[in-house]
Amino acid sequence: MEKLTKQQIDNAIRLLKMPPDSKLVTHLNACVHCGLCGESCMYYKTMGDNRFLPARKVELVASLYRKYCTLTGKIVPSLVNARELDEKMAEEMVDMLFGACTMCGRCVKHCSIGVDISYIVHVGRRMLAAMNLVPETLQATVNAALETGNNMAIPTEDFVDTIEWMEEELIEEYGEDARIPLNETDKKVFYTLNPREPKFFPLSISAMAKIFFAAKESWSISTNMYDVTNYGIFNGNNSQAAQIAKRLHDEVLSKKSKVLVLGECGHGTRANRWEAPNYLQQPYNFEVTTVVELINDYIRSGRIKLDKSLNDELVTIHDPCNLVRNGGLLSEIRFTVKNSVSNFIEMNPYGLDNFCCGGGGGQLAMSEYNERRIKIGEIKAEQIRATGAKIVATPCHNCVDQLAQLNHTYKLGVKIKTLAEIVADAIVL
Amino acid sequence: MAELKFDGDGFLINPEIWDNEVAEQIANEDGIAMTDQHWSIVKVIRNNYEEKGNAPMIRTICKETGLKLKDIYELFPLGPARGACRVAGLPKPDGCV
Repeated sequence: MEKLTKQQIDNAIRLLKMPPDSKLVTHLNACVHCGLCGESCMYYKTMGDNRFLPARKVELVASLYRKYCTLTGKIVPSLVNARELDEKMAEEMVDMLFGACTMCGRCVKHCSIGVDISYIVHVGRRMLAAMNLVPETLQATVNAALETGNNMAIPTEDFVDTIEWMEEELIEEYGEDARIPLNETDKKVFYTLNPREPKFFPLSISAMAKIFFAAKESWSISTNMYDVTNYGIFNGNNSQAAQIAKRLHDEVLSKKSKVLVLGECGHGTRANRWEAPNYLQQPYNFEVTTVVELINDYIRSGRIKLDKSLNDELVTIHDPCNLVRNGGLLSEIRFTVKNSVSNFIEMNPYGLDNFCCGGGGGQLAMSEYNERRIKIGEIKAEQIRATGAKIVATPCHNCVDQLAQLNHTYKLGVKIKTLAEIVADAIVL
Repeated sequence: MAELKFDGDGFLINPEIWDNEVAEQIANEDGIAMTDQHWSIVKVIRNNYEEKGNAPMIRTICKETGLKLKDIYELFPLGPARGACRVAGLPKPDGCV
């Protein structure tokens, strides 16, 4: 690593010295190093090396806090394990906070005193971002979103061409009303996508369009801004996260839609539903929900009719961390899947205690840590294998991609599907 | 032959030295024996990359090869990005792939 400049160090330490609230200080001082978090962490369980303990990750940030923000740490750093922010420390932080954490929050639930470990990891990432030390591949994904309006840099004409292609096939199968409306204003639903859908996996778009058609929904997609992702939540650069969030916010207003519906994306839901009003420092003045909850409502209210026997293979659910442990959609996902399939089995553990797919926290975008990502994914792969399921349903495209890679690497022989795909297959028109 | 360099995800870092032999080597790692259909997909991706500097939309791949979506997912079980684009010697696309 190149020598750190004084400016870089000052930029990082400033974030510790001016915490926006007392949460940071409380949580940094609360860890008692009991180590209970270890067994909850996929990295520690897989690598068996103390460096990977979640408490050690907290300690990286806490030791800097003591060095730069406490009197004892300044005078006798060795007494309180206060560390200097030098090149060695910065390298360790990049490796552990970017390269060895999916920010899944499982450790937080297992912590005996509730230290918000993934929040501390995020603060560490913000410090690294302030020093321009974000891994290149992760930053590239954020840059693509900032520069082009979507994280895969898809040109608008290519996007439109793909949507029209999906629409033609829908109309051919279900008639003139089975449309994918683009850029229409005053619609109830403003629908969003993960750019990997139009780019490489468009069948989930037509599956959702089929559900909207069956529910007779008033909806549209904006070609200016349809990207549900926001990797600014992972790279530690809150001002970039705010720029991306603002673009979506403004587009919902300009299309005069009533409800922003977040497509099947874990971090995108967390970023846009829970974090964005903080980034923007204002509440949304439109409704926001997830497509999972919307489909739930369609089923409960009878707006769509499902025949479970149309999905008769054994199905299990992978719970995306940001939708379930950190987002509260445990029963909504189950209600939707159980109404769409005739054979269902839970993973062990599942729900709030479920293991991450291994690709969260921006890991999927960071080639630098690919080997670790696939290695920790073995826990998830074996969880899936133990169910004997033929289909894994998960409402997150990031999880889908990681699970597809695990499926190949660990020879699971399963199909990975989004919730929209499962529901669309069970719809009776 | 110049040395092949791969990133952590197994995508070529020096795509300019890609040739058919390299494609076969990468495909082999994924357990794929290249057929005419595999080659037709790889050629479309490669041409797009050389002309525009990025991976084509799956739409373009289907249009130019005449293959159905389902066929492409079956031919490259890791998908168009981690499967086909990697064999075609492209750098890893950004985003959730």
